[in-house]
Amino acid sequence: MRRTLRGVVRDTAYLLCMLFTSLTSVLLLFLLAVAVGSTVVAGMGLVLAPLAVQVVRRWTDVHRALAGWVLGEQVPRRYRPLRGGIGSWMRQVVADRMTWRDLGWLAANAVVGLVAGAIGLFFAGTPPVTLFTMFFWWLAPVDDPLHMLMGTPVTSWSAALATGLGTLAVSVPSGVLVVPRAARLHAAMTRALIGRSTADELERRVEALTEARTGVIDAHGAELRRIERDLHDGTQARLVSIAMRLGMAKQALGDDPEVAARLIDDARIGAESAMGELRSILRTMYPPVLTDRGLGGAIHALAAQSGVPVQVDVEDLGLVSAPAEAATYFTIAEALTNAAKHSGASVARVTVHRTGDWLSTTVEDDGCGGVDETRGSGVVGIRRRIEALEGAVHIDSPHGGPTTIKVELPCGS
Amino acid sequence: MRVVIVEDNVLLAEGLALMLERAQLEVAAVAADAEGFHAAVAEHRPDVTIVDVRLPPSYRDEGIRAAIAARGAYPGLPVLVLSQYVELVYAVELLSGEGGGIGYLLKDRVSRVEEFIEALRRVAAGGTALDAEVVAQLLTRRRGHPLAALSPRERDVLALMAEGHDNSTICEKLHIVHSSVHKHIGNIFAKLGLAPGDTGHRRVQAVLAYLQTRH
Repeated sequence: MRRTLRGVVRDTAYLLCMLFTSLTSVLLLFLLAVAVGSTVVAGMGLVLAPLAVQVVRRWTDVHRALAGWVLGEQVPRRYRPLRGGIGSWMRQVVADRMTWRDLGWLAANAVVGLVAGAIGLFFAGTPPVTLFTMFFWWLAPVDDPLHMLMGTPVTSWSAALATGLGTLAVSVPSGVLVVPRAARLHAAMTRALIGRSTADELERRVEALTEARTGVIDAHGAELRRIERDLHDGTQARLVSIAMRLGMAKQALGDDPEVAARLIDDARIGAESAMGELRSILRTMYPPVLTDRGLGGAIHALAAQSGVPVQVDVEDLGLVSAPAEAATYFTIAEALTNAAKHSGASVARVTVHRTGDWLSTTVEDDGCGGVDETRGSGVVGIRRRIEALEGAVHIDSPHGGPTTIKVELPCGS
Repeated sequence: MRVVIVEDNVLLAEGLALMLERAQLEVAAVAADAEGFHAAVAEHRPDVTIVDVRLPPSYRDEGIRAAIAARGAYPGLPVLVLSQYVELVYAVELLSGEGGGIGYLLKDRVSRVEEFIEALRRVAAGGTALDAEVVAQLLTRRRGHPLAALSPRERDVLALMAEGHDNSTICEKLHIVHSSVHKHIGNIFAKLGLAPGDTGHRRVQAVLAYLQTRH
């Protein structure tokens, strides 16, 4: 009983809110129209439009919360994260289907909210008005009596009590019946229009996965092409020339041993170069020390051969996926090389720790700073590798130092 | 001189054996993993061993571990570790034990047969053979370090000392006379603040210790 009562009060409050917000929705639609119009007419919209988008999003958020309150479940918000400058920002807002659903909801709420609010107002207003009329009908002048609902004039205590009680007997139970239904109906509309359905959720995940996969495949493809080219132009060509020299050496063996010896020597030098090249190609694919010692051991190996003294702070990282391991290794190697070559740092510090499925790596040095990403430094390589794995790179390197390079990577295997 | 080879790749093991035999060295046994290595050492008591870093079952750094373990069981057992790639930390681990007779070379070096055999003999005699690439890793030091005070020639001499060469080999390699090598070494030790007079393995260790610890 109490719960029903509380529910009715809550739903009544909801409907009364809707009465107010439906009117505001009309205003918001107007504001939006102005914003869009002014974008077309003048630059004004560049200021107004983002503001309007923010306001609309906040506004629909309030309604998601209210609808969730009535429905007893969360109505989640779902906007794609906005990135980039104002141009791409606006494009993303326009491309986001949720923007259009927000607008549709604003229009629908202008009408449906008004009706729902009227219902709320009627059932919320009837009992107090009736009670007032019942007891204070005599305050009205005789020639202009108060009216109960249905227009019955009240001129005596008996009429007041009879029609008053009658009205209450009809309006209160029907209110208890109608108000929650109206509120739920409205909330359900809100959920349907601006909430998230299972299909939406699946669509979003498919989109995100497709995007991530495309990125990975692109990066992977580019890496494979690089390796193919290195092997083809370098190692393979060297092997051909070695075989050729050995063949020639065999021919020369009988009549000119000196030439044969020189050819064999050339072949050996070629083989040495080929081995060196292969080693460096393998190193760029997956540094062998990672296989041997894991990420922690590999970082200590990097620190040992660094040109600056390095403090290493690596906790037990558990199982880290191979691409994340390699990317972390290269990031640290690149950052330490930069520190040793350009920064004049006297000490560097490498910190790696894991939070859930995220690996966070920080390389700091006390050098002169001024790492410039636009000037093709190793930082570009770091960014390319990390972003291919859906990670994030933060670089803080003011002129005069110090430099901090922080990388966050998903590392689930 | 009797040699035990620990190499799981048949092609490489056969190649090594062939090369050693042509150099008049006796291959006592060829083992394919750490267990076989220990058994072969126990049975043949070789003068020197050649160990590949990656061995079954997991193909990681078993060779390094096996070498350190074997030297624990047979103090002074000369071990030359071969690897497709070199890491300074592995060299440090290998050299941190007692006594000499340690080598750590890239597999590539077998193509220079004479130098390789010379390195093997040096290790067998209790000396050191450290790959030039490892030494290069040690010598990458920043500006302001005492190493920066060395002349290019002195750096060359220091690198060869760290690789484990004696003075006469350094003369040959750099095409300079004995007295100037002597002079260079004196300068190096003075500039780095090392005690002169150490020779052979002790000199290598002093140089390596210096390069590792001082930044």
